[in-house]
Amino acid sequence: MKKIAFYGKGGIGKSTTQQNTAAAMAHFHGQQVFIHGCDPKADSTRMILGGMNQKTIMDTLRDEGAEMVTADKVISKGFGNIRCCESGGPEPGVGCAGRGVITAIDLMETHGAYTEDLNYVFYDVLGDVVCGGFAMPIRDGKAQEVYIICSGEMMAVYAANNICKGLVKYARQSGVRLGGLVCNSRKVDKEWEFIEEFAAAIGTQMIHFVPRDNIVQKAEFNKKTVIEYDAESNQAKEYSELARKIIENQMFVIPQPLSMDQLEAMVVKYGIAD
Amino acid sequence: MLHGSQGCATYIRRYLISHFREPVDIASSNFSEETTIFGGNRNFNTGIDNIIRQYHPAVIAIASTCLSETIGEDVQRLINEYKTIHAGEKDLPAMIYASTPSYSGTHYDGFHEAVCAAVKSLAYAGDKTGKHINLFGNFISPEDIRHLKEITGDFGIDTVLFPDYSQTLDSVSWDAYRRIPEGGTSIAGLKRSASAMLSVELGYILNSGGRNGAVGENNQSESAGEYLQKQFDVPCRKTGLPVGVNETDRFFDLLSSVSGKAVPEKYREQRGRLIDLYIDGHKYVSCKRAVIYGEEDLVVALAAFAAETGIRPVLCASGGESGKLKDTLRNVLGDLYPPDIIVGQGMSFERMESLMTELKPDLMIGNSKGYYIARKMDIPLVRTGFPIHDRIGAAHARILGYEGAILLFEQIVNTILEDKQRKSPVGYKYM
Repeated sequence: MKKIAFYGKGGIGKSTTQQNTAAAMAHFHGQQVFIHGCDPKADSTRMILGGMNQKTIMDTLRDEGAEMVTADKVISKGFGNIRCCESGGPEPGVGCAGRGVITAIDLMETHGAYTEDLNYVFYDVLGDVVCGGFAMPIRDGKAQEVYIICSGEMMAVYAANNICKGLVKYARQSGVRLGGLVCNSRKVDKEWEFIEEFAAAIGTQMIHFVPRDNIVQKAEFNKKTVIEYDAESNQAKEYSELARKIIENQMFVIPQPLSMDQLEAMVVKYGIAD
Repeated sequence: MLHGSQGCATYIRRYLISHFREPVDIASSNFSEETTIFGGNRNFNTGIDNIIRQYHPAVIAIASTCLSETIGEDVQRLINEYKTIHAGEKDLPAMIYASTPSYSGTHYDGFHEAVCAAVKSLAYAGDKTGKHINLFGNFISPEDIRHLKEITGDFGIDTVLFPDYSQTLDSVSWDAYRRIPEGGTSIAGLKRSASAMLSVELGYILNSGGRNGAVGENNQSESAGEYLQKQFDVPCRKTGLPVGVNETDRFFDLLSSVSGKAVPEKYREQRGRLIDLYIDGHKYVSCKRAVIYGEEDLVVALAAFAAETGIRPVLCASGGESGKLKDTLRNVLGDLYPPDIIVGQGMSFERMESLMTELKPDLMIGNSKGYYIARKMDIPLVRTGFPIHDRIGAAHARILGYEGAILLFEQIVNTILEDKQRKSPVGYKYM
């Protein structure tokens, strides 16, 4: 079983890419996949499950107590037999969502939710490694591989660099490694080159360039991944390709995040600062 | 009520009980893993409901803890929500909130935060300035609080003294347990603190270092007197804790000018006796080298007292981090300020011990927490301040005023004599 964590700036298409990759892994490559959504908004499994009907771990914890949080209760199966659970979190503005992530992952492990028959567990984590809680998926014994979703926009690259800083802190101790950057295209000029150069600079690879295609949004409106919506489409093939590359990936590194000066110089070079 | 985990309440209860030797009820909002994630709103409301049902209090004081502060609980909002839900219900207690995470400042800073929080919640601007004064007595023993009341009473000054735990933390024995003991400053008293002609604060430093620790700049903490001055134009005078002749003279001069009355004969006599005692005891204490430690204002007061008796403070140490200890000592001690004194702020007992190994002092003056050093180095320890966990009677220890200085001086001299006898190969009966 391989455990993978997906990070990336908020709004970059992280959950969309993650779910499409999971669907592609299951549909095209016959993998058994488990998605653990670690975003308090609980939107990491919506397209696999065809809606946000499932009760989150935090909802169950709040309403019924810790002893009632069983694997059966909080795990739902969706497209491609993908098993899904969502951590959920406190109401916006109160409590401690980071602690919620820790508790949710602990509970899932205690209940043996990540069973031996699984090929992949995906952790889909919100935006940035903002605190210890959101670093939980890359701590000891959790995810071995991290993929950062980004685009050619400056703030996305800045966030990716920041996530690498968080990763470095845990890498030596937990053995977690960066598997690469996934460029989810925003059709920005010279995006490919920019991300390739940035990836090389921090010592990793751009594992795949996912082109922009309206079918992604169309499928999303229908609460479906592209793979379920139209498995024959070009975009579905792109996700299949990304899934294959992740399965076959051999390049795992401890990244070397850039200094602010280096990063800004790169941004200026690609003319995205204007 | 402490807004946080149960252990926080248990810890501070134990701490207070073993010092005051009185029952101390402190409620907890009982944070668990779930409360930490979802926020403490529900537990807060349940806690307040339970307190009201069981204690029927007029006031509920709420302090935060590390956990509730770290997850960003907005306790003032919780209080406001509770009041909104229960609007119109009779006997709804007043609620006071002080922010007291233990990673910020010291216990002493938290004490003054609570004093200021009470005033902020309850002080109410009257029509005109009254003839009364506010006296913020600092963190002193119940006995010293009683003494302050006696003194202001003898000057005939109408005084709002806060806090006043002279009865609540030093009760008579009861036949049946009382959930809330009698006594304390009245709500009406705190209300009129806003219309006082003057606030007197005992202590120069108070909580001015309250949030210094981590942030470096302190602009959030203020003392009750400072708040009343800013908010209600009540002038504020800070004077030291009246320990020893010089600082007590300053305090009595202030009361004399406030009341327009001369210092009553009774106190002149006490002052005379104190000076006579200083003379009698001088040969025992002269040039004795003392380490003084504890809360910053207490350290200042004890150092001023020690210096005027002929004792030489060689190390003044405090865990407080106001950054003002050295300058305050210099100002208060004046000519008596020893040029080679070491002043330590934010100091641990470990650091204090290593300094003491070099200094080889004759005497330690401070709370029970330094006992292990006294034992290890075989140095006599005079217990004063807070906490006193290994002696009885902390509630009755008087150090304020001329009489307090008499008692403290005798205690110091006798401790030195006892130590001398114990270490002497000959059993001298005259010392």
